[in-house]
Amino acid sequence: MNKTLYTCGLVLVMGVALISMPGCSKKSVQSGGDSQSAQGMAKGGSSDSSRSGVGSFPDTGVQSGGSGLRGLDKNPSEERVGSGTMLAKVDPSSSAGRQDEFRAEAGLLDVFFAYDSWTISEEERQSLSRNAEWIKSNSSALVKVEGHCDERGTSAYNLVLGEKRAKAARNYLVELGVGTQRLSVVSYGKERPSCNEHAESCYQQNRRAHLVVKTGK
Amino acid sequence: MTQGKLISVWLGGVLLIAGLVGILESGAADVFLEATRPDFQKISLGVAGIQNGGGPDWLGGRIEEVLKKDVKRSLVFDLVDLPSLGIKTSDIGNGKGTGSKAVFKQAAEKGVSVLVWGKAGLKEAEKDADVNMEGFVYDSGSDEVVGGKRYAGSPSVVRLMAHRFADELVFRYTGEPGIARTKIAYVAEQGKARELFVMDYDGHDARQLTADGFLNLMPQWSPDRRFLVFTAYRNRNTQDIDMIELATGKRWTLISLGGLNITPALSPDGNFLAFASSHEGNSELYRLDTRTKALQRLTVNPSGDLSPSWSPNGRELVFVSDRGGGPQLFLMGSDGSNVRRLTFDGDYNAAPVWSPRGNWIAYVCRTQKEYKLCVISPDGQKRMQLTTGPGVDDSPSWSPDGRHLVFSSTADGKSHIYMIDADGKDIERLTFEGTHNSAPSWSPAS
Repeated sequence: MNKTLYTCGLVLVMGVALISMPGCSKKSVQSGGDSQSAQGMAKGGSSDSSRSGVGSFPDTGVQSGGSGLRGLDKNPSEERVGSGTMLAKVDPSSSAGRQDEFRAEAGLLDVFFAYDSWTISEEERQSLSRNAEWIKSNSSALVKVEGHCDERGTSAYNLVLGEKRAKAARNYLVELGVGTQRLSVVSYGKERPSCNEHAESCYQQNRRAHLVVKTGK
Repeated sequence: MTQGKLISVWLGGVLLIAGLVGILESGAADVFLEATRPDFQKISLGVAGIQNGGGPDWLGGRIEEVLKKDVKRSLVFDLVDLPSLGIKTSDIGNGKGTGSKAVFKQAAEKGVSVLVWGKAGLKEAEKDADVNMEGFVYDSGSDEVVGGKRYAGSPSVVRLMAHRFADELVFRYTGEPGIARTKIAYVAEQGKARELFVMDYDGHDARQLTADGFLNLMPQWSPDRRFLVFTAYRNRNTQDIDMIELATGKRWTLISLGGLNITPALSPDGNFLAFASSHEGNSELYRLDTRTKALQRLTVNPSGDLSPSWSPNGRELVFVSDRGGGPQLFLMGSDGSNVRRLTFDGDYNAAPVWSPRGNWIAYVCRTQKEYKLCVISPDGQKRMQLTTGPGVDDSPSWSPDGRHLVFSSTADGKSHIYMIDADGKDIERLTFEGTHNSAPSWSPAS
């Protein structure tokens, strides 16, 4: 423990801003010690140790063992070549199950968005008003709002954009009096397009919040 | 200012940092920039043929073809066509006779630095067929046969033998392991689902990894190449970050905090997982200590933050934030400190990836309404657009030697995977089948 503190202290004394502080806090936690000093070192935002929602991590650091290359040899001995990184065989039939409990509902209208935007236009507010009425009159229905994007832009940013669209639609439904406990959101980004052409007419259909329903008990 | 100067300025910075850090920690920044410098002189290499050593006629030719392509892609060698230089390659024989001496002399006179030849055969072993391959190397600088390799294995690893030999050549002349045995993980459409696949770096031998029938997105490799981390949807509702072990197919959930959990990236030492999560409201960046499970929030603002990518020394992250309106690239310390904006050109810059050599960050830039690949130096001083034309380019990922990028593009209609040299030259299409291939991630070198 003393050694750890000494190391951390040395780093601070040297004033090398580039040394990562959590490198020190990590060591203190590892040596089973002073969590106070660990938290003191950690910067920017909350930090807590054991937490639900985090699974088990294997050690993924590179083990010493080199590249597997042995160099050229004047009298080379035979090397057995295996298939390298072994890849497990997948049984595609194992994809069975996992049916979506939510289904599309004719009474619910899609809400469409402008390019790069998650703002709900006046026209789309009318669709959402009709959706709100439908939801209120089907009191056992749970509604999932899916956010979708067109194919332009990156996969990653479109997942964030899709979430913004889904949340914008959800928030307006809440404003209209739908209970938050009946609404959930999910973003599919540009990964589940309803239309696959590279054309604006198609992009328009894909920039949407799509409402699906599960009938609760 | 020339590119060479800029790189040496950057190199100087890296050395300075490495020097300071080196006092406390070994194995700091890996500084090996020679072969990516624009004035790097490639080594001329000729393949004098892989002869038939007993077995089907196609065998030697197949190995030779794979080997030549590997040599070309290495960008370390300049592959020369020996017959067009008037060199009669068939005279090389086993590399020991007078005929071979004459070929060596000719090659040296024509400025060929390295000559490679070999033979391959197939024999029926006890259980199944066994392929044997040998390859030898003549170096005209030292005027000697510097050595060779002998491989044996099942017919299914014929391409791998050629890849392995190519990597030995790169290793011999650069001290680096080469990229011919690396793999590319990617997403392929299967009906309405998107599943993870892994293929060889040249697009061959694609294998399916997941089969859950829904969305599996944006895989990233662990530093030891044994695992992939990716975004998945549990029961189609909850978006989690999962991990899969390649050898066993075993898969489990790493992060299920609720909300959007995307763009996972393991630090180069495997000790941290950076990712974006919206479980506290909007998409923010977090860093999980993979050993203590301590979760640290790195960004705090009402905009979307996502797509973290680690600097090769693990001390900084480049990421995307739309805090200024459209998405732009930002840099920060890997503890969330010292945030500064990196890109100022255009109103859409996203999907950044830090090169393994540290000198460039590749990303998707929007120019004239098209989404193309760009690179920028981490000090923001130098920027270059790599691709042009129509189509959406996405998800760039660096080769471990920093000389290539792999990315997806709709340039030919459907989304497919392409490889491009880091200077924007020589695009090679890697996938040809299926309705949609995207999100390529290049494995570390073995």
